[in-house]
Amino acid sequence: MNAAGSDRRNGSQLVAETLHAEMDRDPSVIVLGEDVAELGGVFGATRRLRRTYGDERVLDTPISETAFVGAAIGAAQAGLRPVVELMFVDFLGVCFDQIMNQMAKARYMSGGAVTAPLVLRSAVGCIGAAAQHSQVLSATFAHIPGLKVAFPASPGDLRGLLLTAIRDDDPVIFLEHKWLLKTRVAELPFCEDLSEPADAVPFGELRRLRDGGDVTIVAAGFMVQLALTAAEALEAEGIRAGVVDVRTLVPLDREGLVREAAAADALLVVDDDYADYGMCGEVIATVAEALGRGAPRLARHALDVPIPANRALEEAVVPSAASIAAAARGLVSASAAQVPA
Amino acid sequence: MTAIDLADAYRTMAVYRRFEEAVGAAVVTGEVHGEMHLGIGQEAIAVALRAMLEPTDAVVSTHRPHLHALALGVDPVALLAELLERSGLSGGKGGHMHLFSRDPQFMCTGIVGASAPLACGDALAQQRRDPGRVTVAVAGDGSMNQGAVFESMNLAALWRLPVVFLCEDNGYGISVRRDVATAGQLADRGTPFGIPGHACDGTDPEAVYAALGPAFERARSGDGPSVVVATCYRFRGHYEGDADTYRPKGEKDDWMSAPRDPLSRLRARLEAAGVPVVELDAADAAAEAEVAGWLEAARSVPFPDVDRVRDDVYAAPGARQGVRA
Ligand SMILES: Cc1ncc(C[n+]2csc(CCOP(=O)(O)OP(=O)(O)O)c2C)c(N)n1
Ligand SMILES: [Mg+2]
Repeated sequence: MNAAGSDRRNGSQLVAETLHAEMDRDPSVIVLGEDVAELGGVFGATRRLRRTYGDERVLDTPISETAFVGAAIGAAQAGLRPVVELMFVDFLGVCFDQIMNQMAKARYMSGGAVTAPLVLRSAVGCIGAAAQHSQVLSATFAHIPGLKVAFPASPGDLRGLLLTAIRDDDPVIFLEHKWLLKTRVAELPFCEDLSEPADAVPFGELRRLRDGGDVTIVAAGFMVQLALTAAEALEAEGIRAGVVDVRTLVPLDREGLVREAAAADALLVVDDDYADYGMCGEVIATVAEALGRGAPRLARHALDVPIPANRALEEAVVPSAASIAAAARGLVSASAAQVPA
Repeated sequence: MTAIDLADAYRTMAVYRRFEEAVGAAVVTGEVHGEMHLGIGQEAIAVALRAMLEPTDAVVSTHRPHLHALALGVDPVALLAELLERSGLSGGKGGHMHLFSRDPQFMCTGIVGASAPLACGDALAQQRRDPGRVTVAVAGDGSMNQGAVFESMNLAALWRLPVVFLCEDNGYGISVRRDVATAGQLADRGTPFGIPGHACDGTDPEAVYAALGPAFERARSGDGPSVVVATCYRFRGHYEGDADTYRPKGEKDDWMSAPRDPLSRLRARLEAAGVPVVELDAADAAAEAEVAGWLEAARSVPFPDVDRVRDDVYAAPGARQGVRA
């Protein structure tokens, strides 16, 4: 399912190229954040932007998240289209007031008079740096009315959803999974054909990346890639697992989810954000509300503790292809046991 | 105030350097799989801090914390074991940016700027119980631009907290140079709050000791906080594996040259003062042997028990009931 051929780029390059294209198209787009200018981002997602667009449109900031995220909101309200980078999403705590009270609510509180069209890009997920540098926190944003939350699962969506995010008139949280930023696109389980220039991908439309039958795995971000690997392994055991990518947590394609659930014997929601009060619960509630007793057997597989430092401990709690396959296997055998004879 | 013992400082700085080098080597062997920030080049600050600290004092450090832990007297084997992802100071759950020791009282955080409020709270709790005790809030130059640090300075001044804000100014926050990120002078950051500031050469233990002296004295005598800014250079990339292309080669070569490297510089000074070369060589060899011994001991500390990975979220195991797929 990888159509990238011998493409040697990684996700961070695709983000940089997309930012380049949008800065070219729209002079009101500016980029700011820690280490984005001189270094081009700690993952390289803003590489070479300053060389092309200069200090006025590409700004290295002090380590002052409240000030520069807040300034991005103010600038957006004043007519710019800032793309502000929060290096790791874990640093959200420093600037959360600006996000949840200022960014999210400006349109509503002003009765629609004031908008804040900005994108907050942030790297999420665990690449081995323990409890304060590995979180996803997607649900923390998605919980707040007024924020849109895009969580691309593939290189094509890194480009397409970012285009939509920048052109959107509302604030968009754009979560870039670190494995997606770092991995060469050709090495991923799934990648689109990237030979044509990117098209904007609409928000709120999930996609099915693999047909199932026995179980459908719903995920976002890099967990979609792992779910595809898990589905491959399950197929060898005779379990047909489908994979659905939600793409945006807000807006959430609830109709699509219900459609997918109605066609599945079992539905497993996978998330590397925390399990409780998160995407898993939201998807399951959506399906249960719509289908009631007609819903398939439902389960979730997500993180339930802070992320530990030791590698073996980390592997014991962060969802992997193997743990997703195990969860799906367990769900399928549980639903089989339930089928009346 | 007494002077710092420079021969002792040299021995200790040699240990600090070998310690950080050993940790760096463990990244290469894969014993450490996460991000790793080393304090090589910043040993003179830690050694002066060591000379100033009492065992009952507390230190709250940053993402570059190892030398501050050693300076306070944290068990080096438990420290090293934690860095090697074994069941060390934090049971293998915390790792290098999240080191916790009760006695002596040490902690650190991976969130830039987050040490300062914690240090204020520690000082608040101890202020009445144990007057004369000091809490050190370590900060990098980059972290001095966090609102949390400004807010903490105000709080510490208002409540006359026995806090020493110790800023290790290595000139960069990752790739961003101090002059790109920081307006004004770091040592003046406390001025609007009435907090005295002392700037010093962070590559010279004697200079750092001299700057810390009045700060500790002020805190111990109940007169409130101070800011000490020690200028230095980080010899390694921001983290192990950092390509570090953002710092000019000439600048690195200059700071790391023998006349400026805190370790070789102190050695030359001791030699000039008549300390026999064999003695200094012996100190180097002893440092090497000491760290090798710690490393061996740390490597025999067991790995954490995977079955207990969900313990410690709350006081009682299983306090958060949940059904998992
Ligand atoms: C709140 C927060 N923002 C950003 C980071 C990412 N980060 C880690 S270290 C660092 C640079 C810190 O610079 P400085 O305070 O000068 O310390 P140094 O690394 O130079 O010792 C940054 C930006 C972080 N860990 N926490
Ligand atoms: Mg610094």
